[in-house]
Amino acid sequence: MNSDRRRINGPSGGTSAPIYSKYITQDLSSLPPRPTRSRPPNVLRKMYGQLMLFSVLKTGVTPSASGSAYLELEASPHHPNLTKTGLASLSTSGLKLTCTVHGPRPLPKSAPFSPHIILSTHVKYAPFATRKRKGYLRDASERDLGVHLETALRGVIIGDRWPKSGVEVIITILEGEEDRWWGDEGGAGEWGMMSVLSGCITVASAAIADAGIDCVDVVAGGLAALVQRSGKPGLVLDPVPSEHKDIVAACIVGYLPQRDEITDLWVKGDIGDGGGYEELADNAVQAALGAHRVLVAALKETADVKMGRY
Amino acid sequence: MASAAPQSTLSFPRETFAKLSPHPYLLAHLQPTSDSSIPTRANGRVATQFRTPHINNGSLTHAEGSAVVRIGDTTVVCGIRAEILLANNVAGYRVDKSSTAPSSKVGYNEAKELDLLVPNIELATGCSPAFMPGQPPSTLAQSLSTRIYSLLHSSGLVDGEDLRIWYQPPDLSDQDKMEEEDEEDVPEPEVKAFWTLYIDILFISLDGNPFDAAWAGVISALKNVRLPKAYWDPDREMILCEDSVAQSKKLQLRGLPIAVTSLVFKAKEQKQAKVQKCWILVDPDTFEEGLCEESVTVVIDCGSGKTKMLGISKAGGTTIGMLEMKGIVSLAEKRWVELSDLLDR
Repeated sequence: MNSDRRRINGPSGGTSAPIYSKYITQDLSSLPPRPTRSRPPNVLRKMYGQLMLFSVLKTGVTPSASGSAYLELEASPHHPNLTKTGLASLSTSGLKLTCTVHGPRPLPKSAPFSPHIILSTHVKYAPFATRKRKGYLRDASERDLGVHLETALRGVIIGDRWPKSGVEVIITILEGEEDRWWGDEGGAGEWGMMSVLSGCITVASAAIADAGIDCVDVVAGGLAALVQRSGKPGLVLDPVPSEHKDIVAACIVGYLPQRDEITDLWVKGDIGDGGGYEELADNAVQAALGAHRVLVAALKETADVKMGRY
Repeated sequence: MASAAPQSTLSFPRETFAKLSPHPYLLAHLQPTSDSSIPTRANGRVATQFRTPHINNGSLTHAEGSAVVRIGDTTVVCGIRAEILLANNVAGYRVDKSSTAPSSKVGYNEAKELDLLVPNIELATGCSPAFMPGQPPSTLAQSLSTRIYSLLHSSGLVDGEDLRIWYQPPDLSDQDKMEEEDEEDVPEPEVKAFWTLYIDILFISLDGNPFDAAWAGVISALKNVRLPKAYWDPDREMILCEDSVAQSKKLQLRGLPIAVTSLVFKAKEQKQAKVQKCWILVDPDTFEEGLCEESVTVVIDCGSGKTKMLGISKAGGTTIGMLEMKGIVSLAEKRWVELSDLLDR
């Protein structure tokens, strides 16, 4: 624990996360069954509360965000013979993201002239968002997510309409995706982060639209992965890392359906020879298209509310 | 809305009026020119009206306890993570007989001595343009964290016993009985570790009155906490937990304190007048917070039938006296009934 004198840091002796007896026994049968993917490989998870607007419809007297959005992906269903527990240990979490957009607003006088809008992105995990408690200071993975998000969004905003201005996109991850199932050993690792990034792109896109910032298109994030299923590699859209023991490779795209353009592409893992790569990217685009459909429907709904109101 | 009167005399829209001269704007609302309209605040509430609270518990899966509290446009997410502090890691903690342990002393607050409650407030989540991420916590965030921290301890809300993890050493005296017959009985249980509660309070949206919302979030999340059964494994020499709900336990909270904040809005124009007209505005929003200096926060608990005061903090002015204070407390009592109804659900 880094000692941050501006925060309350807790016992100086240091604390450790609880260790559950189940997971340190070598007996595999006592381990809780891994959740299984019940969706067909080409079906995305349900998105809840696709666009829950809080305090954004009011402008003027209440200083609040220019735009905001909330995204929640359903958690994988519990194994049928596992009673739903209320403890934090056996959790299968969905993804919960909130995004606020502030701006466009004038840059401070000290800032150098910019002919287009300056986009800055912040992605931060809440301390309780993951199995292991996160600190308050941004770590490398959060900065990495921020950079990827900026790449995905920069090409979408029509920047030269706001010279000398800045816009901030801030995402708080209330609940992140897990990297693996509980009993699993290490493994190559951060698959959850890719799923988080695809959610970040989608939710940021919604918040930017809500803020009324001109864009060339509504960008959506999509994720596809190559997983080992019964010994054979197969492609799945929108994989949940805890549902698959062996994820071989994953690809995430930020995709603009109207222009058929990709703004951000990130592939990780072992894709083998060239052919697999293209197929993987195509599948990620399919996933993005699915997210885009939900996104557009939600934006239409919001627009109707706004029009009806004013 | 009482806005009809001022609007007719203006040539610019309400929002512009509010931005250009916020003080007269609020004053015009509170002092409507026509007698027929009820004086309200700029947000449409009357001076003694609270915003409707919404509380949702246990929606976060990775937290031992969690709550989402929405009061008007202020939204707070509070998540509590429990971690384990080994008694060995506490400097100067004596693991000896319970009769001589420091916990037996009168007035000993173990949770405070060992720092077992760790509340932190994060405002830099984009909840308001005033607090941007990427910077150290603002003064407001720090002072709110400290206030929550001190209220948690001074209210004695969490029972120190709930946070202890006991170990009963096995009774080995049977084998030794032959040699030392008059040796003393069963070994005393000892405390091997403590639960530490990390209470993280994130503001998702901020529109005034952060303390009341944060405190309601803390209470609601504490009520939601389920600690797994933990025990000392002497073979592995570590604390292990069981993950069955049946064996887990909830915290026994002592009381249900509620914080209620009010502001005093003064009619500035009448400075020369002896008696300055003023209004007490409960549950203020950001717009009102910018216009008022004097604020009162009372923390009360009416759980046992009569009202207990756990704290009063008042700053920024001299308007509120005994009489006004009584009025504020009776408003707070009403609020307590409303909130405790939601919290007990």
